[in-house]
Amino acid sequence: MKSAGSLYFAGVDLGSTMTKVVIIDGDGVIRARVETHTGAEHRRLANRVMEQALKQAELPFEEITYVIATGYGRINVPFADRQITELTCHARGVTSLFPSARTALDIGGQDAKGLKIKDGKLTNFVMNDKCAAGTGRFLEVIAKTLGLKLEELGDISLKSQNRVNISNTCTIFAQQEVISRLSEGVPVEDIVAGLHEAIASRAVGMLRRLGIEGDVVFTGGVAKNKGVVRAVQENLGHQVLVPDDPLISGALGAALLGKEIAFKSLEKGEPLPKKERRLAEATFYK
Amino acid sequence: MVMSEMETGLDRARAIYQDRTRRARELKAEGKQVIGYFDIYPVLEMLTALDLVPYRILGDMNEPITKADACLPTVVCPFIRSVMDLGLKGRYDFLDGVVMAHGCEVAEKTAHIWRTYLNPAYAHFIDTPHTTHTAALEQHKELLKDFKKTLEAFAGKELTLEKLRQAIEVHNEQRLLVRELYDLRKPDPPLISGTETLQVLVALASLPVTEGNELLRQVIRQAHERRDGPRIQPARLLLWGSIIDNTAIIDLIESLGANVVMDDTSLGSRAYFPLVEQTGDPLDGLANRYLVALKSPRTFRETVLTKTKRKDYLADLENRFSYLKDYAQEWKVNGVILEVLRYCDIHGYEVPGLKDYLDHIDLPSIYLEHDYSQAALAQLRTRVQAFLEVIG
Repeated sequence: MKSAGSLYFAGVDLGSTMTKVVIIDGDGVIRARVETHTGAEHRRLANRVMEQALKQAELPFEEITYVIATGYGRINVPFADRQITELTCHARGVTSLFPSARTALDIGGQDAKGLKIKDGKLTNFVMNDKCAAGTGRFLEVIAKTLGLKLEELGDISLKSQNRVNISNTCTIFAQQEVISRLSEGVPVEDIVAGLHEAIASRAVGMLRRLGIEGDVVFTGGVAKNKGVVRAVQENLGHQVLVPDDPLISGALGAALLGKEIAFKSLEKGEPLPKKERRLAEATFYK
Repeated sequence: MVMSEMETGLDRARAIYQDRTRRARELKAEGKQVIGYFDIYPVLEMLTALDLVPYRILGDMNEPITKADACLPTVVCPFIRSVMDLGLKGRYDFLDGVVMAHGCEVAEKTAHIWRTYLNPAYAHFIDTPHTTHTAALEQHKELLKDFKKTLEAFAGKELTLEKLRQAIEVHNEQRLLVRELYDLRKPDPPLISGTETLQVLVALASLPVTEGNELLRQVIRQAHERRDGPRIQPARLLLWGSIIDNTAIIDLIESLGANVVMDDTSLGSRAYFPLVEQTGDPLDGLANRYLVALKSPRTFRETVLTKTKRKDYLADLENRFSYLKDYAQEWKVNGVILEVLRYCDIHGYEVPGLKDYLDHIDLPSIYLEHDYSQAALAQLRTRVQAFLEVIG
């Protein structure tokens, strides 16, 4: 039998905006991590992201003991052994990054999630996935309206001296409000800071519904935006923990859960509950 | 009715579920009169006693709402909007009349809008009281007398006490058979799936009561005899909520590793479990059953005071929801799905208290709100799956 270190596990997180793959070994050491834009066409081509990760880890696909797919596109990934929701995977990933975490906020491209965690496990959650308001997509649309790059928003908002109130967190209405503020001559940084506040107050409200306990971890693409992080902290009244790479907690959690499932089966001497898998295109849209 | 020898009860239930107006149209062609009804408050025994076929008016999650917005606001219950939409599109054009009751404010307004826009030959509205006080019960009985009068005028014959007693008998028989149907869900694995149960319930709402009883007996026999019923799943769930008349939600839940083994919804146990007591004046038993015994959040129940005449939140919750604890124990439930149609205030306002109660008795629950559209259900998949992972 192989030693734990020579077993490998992959987590594939197919988000609405970004696809993330993490490969770990049996000791939990990260051997590869790839993040790339999902895009309309690329959702189908998650296998290519997996191939990149395999190349980075210098491993053939057959060497991967267990693959778990998560995220909005987790269904019908032909190279995964099992699918687990991003909520459970994030909870696991966040705990491995910050063992003290009891509450997590994840704001991705398409939804916002609040998680309650105990002993490394998800115990409760709340989700906003009905509209783009308060998500990364909201920031993308607004950045475009302002003629800015998404990644510039954070630094720009930190220059704000007089944040405006953006009353609408409906993406379309907020876009109109931004245009009207611009025409009033309000500086861009004050508008952007107002948008960040709108996202943060909405997200923290969602977390409060869930009940905030212990350290709060903030993950997802939106956690890369320093302006939103600051606004979330102001709304919470305390610091949040943000991983160096806020995007990977879901994929990392998926890989770790894969490892735990595999080790449990090995301990019991049971065969791994595996599917016949092919490193092929996803059939999500067929 | 001639039933194919080969057709099993479950096949027949599914066929009626898939084409629920067919049997009603057949009966109509045979000269029967079919009366549509909204919700669970119209007293069906009176229809049956006069040989009128009761037919429950339901919505259609697969039909986009395109016509109802002309006469109903868009920010009200999407089920009722769907019902009105189907009415305007002629889906219920075979009905000879309608009987509606004050299920909720939107249903009440829609009853009048239905009458105005569709002008049925017979339309009666029962303004069912919202409390269970003695005065409300007396008022309810008077309202049922009015209903009886208009129905007799429409049918052109008298509704005799004897006929009414017989109708109560046969409806009670259906209620007991539905309990037997629900008993099939108690073993692990259940002998009938949540999806199959709902198909039977929708069929019952589309058939004359005696045909429904025949169908129930067939289904119960088949479920006991067959070997290919549901399999054991990690979760056994109770589904609480407003109305579920489409199997899509239950299919979704059951496809994710759960058996839906019990419900408290207005097409399920809530509509059938309470029996009508045979009283000297049958109207007393009927008035009581349809106002007091039916447990729906649309009816206000007085807060129970403690011995020292104080309000006690937990005691009040216990009074309102302990029947769900009983269901959970009897059906060995390990999770509850609180399903609410968007804009359903009646059920929405019930959720915080109910959630507190379920937390108090350590029964995990998840709140799902949806738009009554099959296309939009995929959004619920992640939540349900994550809930099952949490309780698993």
